[in-house]
This record gives sequence, C-alpha cells and structure tokens, in this order.
Amino acid sequence: MRVMRPIARLAEFALALGILVILWHLLSVRVANATLLPSPLAVALAWVELLRTDLPADIAASLVHLGVGYGAGAALGLALAILCARSAVADAIVDPAMELLRPIGAIAWIPIAIVFFGIGRGVPMFLIFYASAFPIFVNTLAGVREVDRNLIAAARMLGASPRLVVTHVVLPAAMPLVLAGARLSLGVAWAAMVAAELTGADAGLGWRIFWYQEFFAMDKVMAVILTIGVFGYLLDLALRRLQAALTRWSADTRAEAA
Amino acid sequence: MATLTTPKIEARSVSKIYVSARTGDKVEALRGVSFSMKPGEFVSIVGPSGCGKSTLLSLIAGFATPSAGEVLFDGKPIDGPDPARGVMFQDYALFPWRTVRGNVEFGPMARGVDKTRRAAIVARNIEMVGLAGFEDRYPHELSGGMRQRCALARLLANEPDMWLMDEPLAAVDLQTRVILQDELLRLWGDAGDPAQRRAVLFVTHGIDEAVYLSDRVIVLGRRPGQVKEIVDIDLPRPRIGARTAPRAAALIDHIWNLIRAEAAQAIVEEP
Repeated sequence: MRVMRPIARLAEFALALGILVILWHLLSVRVANATLLPSPLAVALAWVELLRTDLPADIAASLVHLGVGYGAGAALGLALAILCARSAVADAIVDPAMELLRPIGAIAWIPIAIVFFGIGRGVPMFLIFYASAFPIFVNTLAGVREVDRNLIAAARMLGASPRLVVTHVVLPAAMPLVLAGARLSLGVAWAAMVAAELTGADAGLGWRIFWYQEFFAMDKVMAVILTIGVFGYLLDLALRRLQAALTRWSADTRAEAA
Repeated sequence: MATLTTPKIEARSVSKIYVSARTGDKVEALRGVSFSMKPGEFVSIVGPSGCGKSTLLSLIAGFATPSAGEVLFDGKPIDGPDPARGVMFQDYALFPWRTVRGNVEFGPMARGVDKTRRAAIVARNIEMVGLAGFEDRYPHELSGGMRQRCALARLLANEPDMWLMDEPLAAVDLQTRVILQDELLRLWGDAGDPAQRRAVLFVTHGIDEAVYLSDRVIVLGRRPGQVKEIVDIDLPRPRIGARTAPRAAALIDHIWNLIRAEAAQAIVEEP
C-alpha cells in the first residue's frame, strides 16, 4: 500500500496532464495559428531553448524579488501579530489598520509603486512585501490568541518566566497556524510578483512574459507561464515539507502532510 | 521560615466571586472557606458539581486570587504560580509539541537545571511512572492512562513541595483508575515514612476514591461553595490492598449522605 500510493498518484497526475496536452494540441490544430495558440510541441521546444538562454537569469531575478519581499513581509506580519497579541494598545492601532489595508490587494498599488520606485526591481519587491504581510499576520494572531490557557498555566506552574512562556509555549502552540499563514502568504506573494514584474519591472519571469509578448512569440510566453506554474508549485511543496517537519507532533497536520 | 507547626496550607475565610466579562453577572464560587493542611497530609476535596472544588485548587495554585480572605503557603500569602506547588490538570495540559521526555524536562529546563542533571531527573521520573520506552512519543500517540502518567512524571520532575491534583483520574477508564490510584499512593509514600510524604490536595468527584486515598476529606456544598464538613479518614496505612474495609464503606456512606441532596439538585440545574 505504502509504495503503491505515490505511484498511483503519479499515474493519475500523468493521465490528467496527458489529457490536457492532447486537448491543447487538438485545439491548436483547429485554430491553426501559431501566434494565437502555439502547439504543445512548439512550447516545449521554446522552453528547452529558453532554459539554455534567458530563463535561468529570469528565475534568479524572480527568486531575488521573492526572497527580499517575502522575507520582509512575512517577518513584519509575524512581528506585528506577536506585538498585537502582547499589547492591547498595539492591537487597537495595528489590527484595524491591517484590516483596512488587507482588502485593497497588492496589485492596486502598482501605479503608485511605479511612480515611487520607478520601473525596476523595487516594484515587485514592494508588492510581494505588501501581499505577504497579511495572511501570516491574520493567521499568527489567530494562532497566538487560541493558545490553550491551561498550557500557559502549566508552564508558569513549572517555573517558566513570561519570556519562556512566549518562546516555548505560545509560539510552538501557534506554529501550525503560523505555517499555514506562511503558505497562504507565499501563494499571494507569487501572484503579486508576476503581476508586478509584468507591469513595473525590468527583470524576472513576469517581465519576460511582457518581453516576448512584444515579439508576438506566444510559444515563449507560454513557456515562461509554465515555468511560473512549476516554480510556484515547487516553492509551495518546500513549505509544505517544512510544515510537516515542524508540526510532526500534531495529529491533524500529520494527516494533511501525508 | 516554616516550622513543624506551620501549616502547609492555610485558607482563611476564602471567598471567590467571578464576574462575567460579557454580561457583568456575578457568580459566587466560594464563600468563607477555611481549612488547613499539615505537611505530608493527603487531603481530598469532594462535592457536587458547581461547589467550587476546582476554583479552590486554582486559588492555591496561584492561578487566581481570592475575592476575600487569604490563602497561606508555608505561612506566606500565595502570590502567583510557583514550582513549589505542582499542579496536575484535569485534561493533563501536556505540551502537544513536546515528546514525553520533552514534557517531563520542561520544569527543570524552566528552572535552569543543567543538561546532565536534567537528563538524570527525566530518566528517573519517566521510569518511576512506568513510561520507560515511550520517551519519544508525542502526547497524541499516548493512551489516556499514559498521558496521565506523563503529567505525573512532569509534576514529580520539578520536585514540588506540594501536589495539587484536579480530578486527575476522571478521564481514564475504571480499571486504569484503580491501578493509578495505587500507583499514586505508592509514589506519595503510603507505606513509607510519613515525614517523607508531600502534601497533596486532590480534587475528585469520586467519594470512594477520596476515602481510599486521603487522610482527610473536605466536603463542599454548592452555590456558593462552602465547607460542609471535614471528615477524618481514620483508616490505617498502608492502604494499598485494603479497598473494601467496612470502615471505609461507612465513611463513604457518611460523605455521600452529606452531598446527596445537592448532587441531585446539580443534575437538574446543570444542562
């Protein structure tokens, strides 16, 4: 059973992908216009070519945007949530501000970010930063607030200082929700990155889509889009693995990670 | 400092009123409760639902403060939780992200005991409660009885002066409970030198359990919680193996008669 399941899953995945590719191919034959809809084969060839030329630099640029923006955004979201949980004053100021900014969405800030930073690396970094901060903030705050008060009482009874209660009880107890927030943040950050690079940057995967669109090279546009999908999936997979490793103790995350 | 004549615990006219944060309603959980405990004494608190048993325990633990009156520990007013008064919680309150070893280690770690001594303390206490071989299990991988043992080992690892136990055996099945009662008595020193025993305050619903374990049983009435009677359990120790003494049956009957009417009332009032 244990060996069969991943294989069966892989087969399922291959089947779904195969059907999609066949449908795509049939549609491209019907449309018969390589600019409007390139065939899967043309996209695959374009992808192989791009991997040898432009893509490595684009992927690297996007990962830099993501690393800086997501790192700062997630850290800020986490820090603000802990601040709100610890201080009623901070909560009264920060929480409403976050709730007001959250529904605006990162993409709405693109014009302002372009004016502010100019076309370049600053726009995607800022947008990713903005998008990442909210999900992890909301989740961490919920996680910290839902900590079983008996666990805190138990820690204090055992001699834990207030600081130790935070680091050894509140944070680990909130960890499953914090990590779920980190994953949500990564998802919206990735989407914000593509949008920002497409409109306000001079490097990265999104920017490369824009670049090949100018040449009507839709096979290459599609190849870049596929790359975005694959890397988004891989990054989420990495976070999911981290989540499973850090919350081995929880009966429900164990089931989810399986 | 505490002398032989200083009570371990002294509660003086303790009252506790809870005010609901939402409605502002006041609930009087305890009214004018007074009693004292000698060092090494095993005292149980019994009473119907809503008599404030757990409230009394949390006041002594230092998780809450009395609305009136005072509670002294070794002659000094209680000011917050203290490792000297170890608590065993009704739902065990084990840290789910820590293994058995990690849970037992928490107290010595929090108090700054160095790593090598900590390892020895942990091993000894895990062995003592019969959890050797399960050190690396997480709480969710343990049965109810094993969680209970883990909570006990965590409490013992801190070598508290006093054990506060809030219905620790309520959530395990009857056979496990009987076994754990005997183990608790053995760990406390039922057959040993009375001078080596720790003071235990044991909250329970089980009158037979209270009689079997205790030196004295405090019987509380409900709404508000007040002391109805403090019953001396004049059964000889060691008690292990002597569950069905006729004298025990008479004491159980006596205590049950004290709370029967209110216990029935509690069933009607509480949904």
